[in-house]
Amino acid sequence: MLLLGLAACYEQPTAPGVCPDFCPGGQITVVDSVFTDVIQRDSAFSGYVEGFQGEALQVTDLPGVIDSRAIFRMNAMYTRVTNRVNDTTTYPITVDSAHLRINIVRRDTNATNLWVKLYRLPIDIDSTTTFAQLAPAFTDSIVDSVNLSDLLRRPKQFDTATIRIWGDTIQTDSAGHILEVGNVDSTLLLLFSLDTAKARFVVADSGKVAYGVRVSGDSLATIALGSVESDRGADIQWYFTFPDTAAVAKDSTAHRPAFFDSFVFNPPTPPLDSNLAVGGVPAARSLLRFAIPEILRDSADVVRATLVLIPVGPVPGIAADSFRVVARPIVTDLGAKSPLAINSPYTTSKIMHLNDADTVRIELTDLVRAWAQDTSAATALVLGQAPEAATYTQARFYSSRAPAFRPALHITFVRRYVFGTP
Amino acid sequence: MTRASGLFVILAALAIAAPARAQDSQFGLRGLGTPGRWESVRARSTGGAFAPFDAFSPLIEAPLGDVRRVSASANGGESWRTLDFGTESASLRATRFPAFMVAGPISQRLVLAGGFSTYLDKSFGITTRDTIDIRGTPEPVTDAVTSDGAVADLRIALAARVHNRLQLGFGLHGLTGSTRVKALRHFDDSTTYRTSTATDEIAYHGLGGSASALLSLSADLRLAAWARSDKRLRADIRGRTVADDDLPISYGGGVQWRPGTQAAVAAAVAWRRWGAAGSGSNAHDTFNWSVGTELGSAASPVRFGVRGGQLAFGPGPKAPTEFGISGGLGKQFSGGRGRLDFGLERLQRKGPGLNERVWTFLVGLTVRP
Repeated sequence: MLLLGLAACYEQPTAPGVCPDFCPGGQITVVDSVFTDVIQRDSAFSGYVEGFQGEALQVTDLPGVIDSRAIFRMNAMYTRVTNRVNDTTTYPITVDSAHLRINIVRRDTNATNLWVKLYRLPIDIDSTTTFAQLAPAFTDSIVDSVNLSDLLRRPKQFDTATIRIWGDTIQTDSAGHILEVGNVDSTLLLLFSLDTAKARFVVADSGKVAYGVRVSGDSLATIALGSVESDRGADIQWYFTFPDTAAVAKDSTAHRPAFFDSFVFNPPTPPLDSNLAVGGVPAARSLLRFAIPEILRDSADVVRATLVLIPVGPVPGIAADSFRVVARPIVTDLGAKSPLAINSPYTTSKIMHLNDADTVRIELTDLVRAWAQDTSAATALVLGQAPEAATYTQARFYSSRAPAFRPALHITFVRRYVFGTP
Repeated sequence: MTRASGLFVILAALAIAAPARAQDSQFGLRGLGTPGRWESVRARSTGGAFAPFDAFSPLIEAPLGDVRRVSASANGGESWRTLDFGTESASLRATRFPAFMVAGPISQRLVLAGGFSTYLDKSFGITTRDTIDIRGTPEPVTDAVTSDGAVADLRIALAARVHNRLQLGFGLHGLTGSTRVKALRHFDDSTTYRTSTATDEIAYHGLGGSASALLSLSADLRLAAWARSDKRLRADIRGRTVADDDLPISYGGGVQWRPGTQAAVAAAVAWRRWGAAGSGSNAHDTFNWSVGTELGSAASPVRFGVRGGQLAFGPGPKAPTEFGISGGLGKQFSGGRGRLDFGLERLQRKGPGLNERVWTFLVGLTVRP
């Protein structure tokens, strides 16, 4: 009997339901509703990330729409060296050439006749430098240029070391440009061969040089360069000689990475207005606060929640420069300085396609479910761009101050099942 | 341990005993549940015909007057059920522990008993498939609704031998129990739609009373009659009453004849006014009958029985019907201080849209320490 009692824990009670005659009286009811007034006190704030802090440097030429140029300044170089151990006597170096390497981390593969142009810039560029200030240098100080489309079509040079170890391929042209295509992520390493006229080593400037990059092409002329912040910044390798102990010139080289990099573009990101802004430079974010309806807290189970945002207009640009709009929950609501929930499993995103004014829908299901269950949670999120301050693009969405186009929450929920009745 | 304190310990144990859990019939899904059988294994092996004359069947109290010393009885069983909906079929299995009772004389003419049995079984689980339209797109879904629990009938009974030929019995019934319920909707597109789950625990409370009489017309012929009235069954979820259903008045009777020392024949009938109690639109008044026999010595009898009648809940204006045959045997041991009963029952239930066939194996233990 004891065994029988223990066995009472086992059952196989599930049968197909033939409704309504042989199903319980309760029904699982799904309701789909657009809550237009749950988003309140939404605001946009700017200045989170500046251009020189971005993970990439946008270089784009779309006449009449955007002209974006990368700028960078290389670290100082030593100008004298010793030629003997434990000797304090130094000798001047004589630079004879240099290789400038830039990392193209994104491009439009459909671009045609894409030229990458290198310009010499003043070495005093910094984060306050504007597009207009550099316009003269970008006009008359071209150093070198390379047809990237043509270079990519050239036969691949198979260097045994790079092929065997990294699987990279190399393409070159007669002007000494070298293109290395990474096997891992298909980024392009482009090397310019610069003589002393192109890479002016000025001792008085401690060897500091600054360059700018523009692109042009028949279509889709856009690339993004890696930056110092992404560990893919520009790098210059100086080739020089110095006299050895026998007064014979001895060869040597030295790398100098970029000390500062950024990008400037025209027209600049417009100032904030009453709409919700996401992206641009400096990076803008929008804070959306949600008043979760009581029905979702005590009488329903959310199965899908979608944030509906109506763009003020299409974001102009080249399609390849489309970006992600990321919705991140916040830890606590401190307005513009609200700390974001880092590594939150509720973070979601949506690709914002350029030149497209369609409504943007971002799935927030898990976040809204968490809000419905946790009455102490800060029911707000921040919309941001990913990556921030790495592109000229900025999206603008109507805010709750535009009643006809205000953001909304489209929620599909299951009404609480009515138990206890036959 | 004195007789009274022993009874107290056993009754206290009953208060914390788990209620029965099983799924007896799909017909009870749209009703209050599946009414339990207030029968011991011995009575059930005779189709239920011996229940009005069996002291350890929770049906009536008057036969408790036959108990001469403290005794306890427990029943359990396992059933295999086949459902045939016409287009679909399923096989289910359930193990249950539906009855326990302890009884003992408190004076020369009075016997006190307590125990529990299943009043309404509320364990079930169903799954359904459907396609619903959400946001303009058809979405296939799977729904699963499960309930695990029962309403138990906690009974305190008193029987009196008021005359050599007449025994009377009275019972006070506390209906209590709970069910853990769960409703789940799973979307095939689980990437877009999360599974919805609702769970709760429903507590049930009710009261009832019963009275019965057992008349011995001769040494070989006995008549039994009983009546029971149960009040409303209240269902509470987190302290809030969600349902308050009427429970039926029940009554019935039986006759038992012993043509010899090693043979007994009995027949019983019962009416239950589920429909009149207004327990839902698909509740029906029921009439059930049974005929059975017990052959052989008291030490190792063989039993057979047949039963028929109606079920309390089912779709349509007419009550589903039930027909069953059963058999079993008993075996005394330890000089009559213990008895094991085994039974096997085959039931067939028919109603609009559903046929059920059930095999049930039963085992019961009665001890008189």
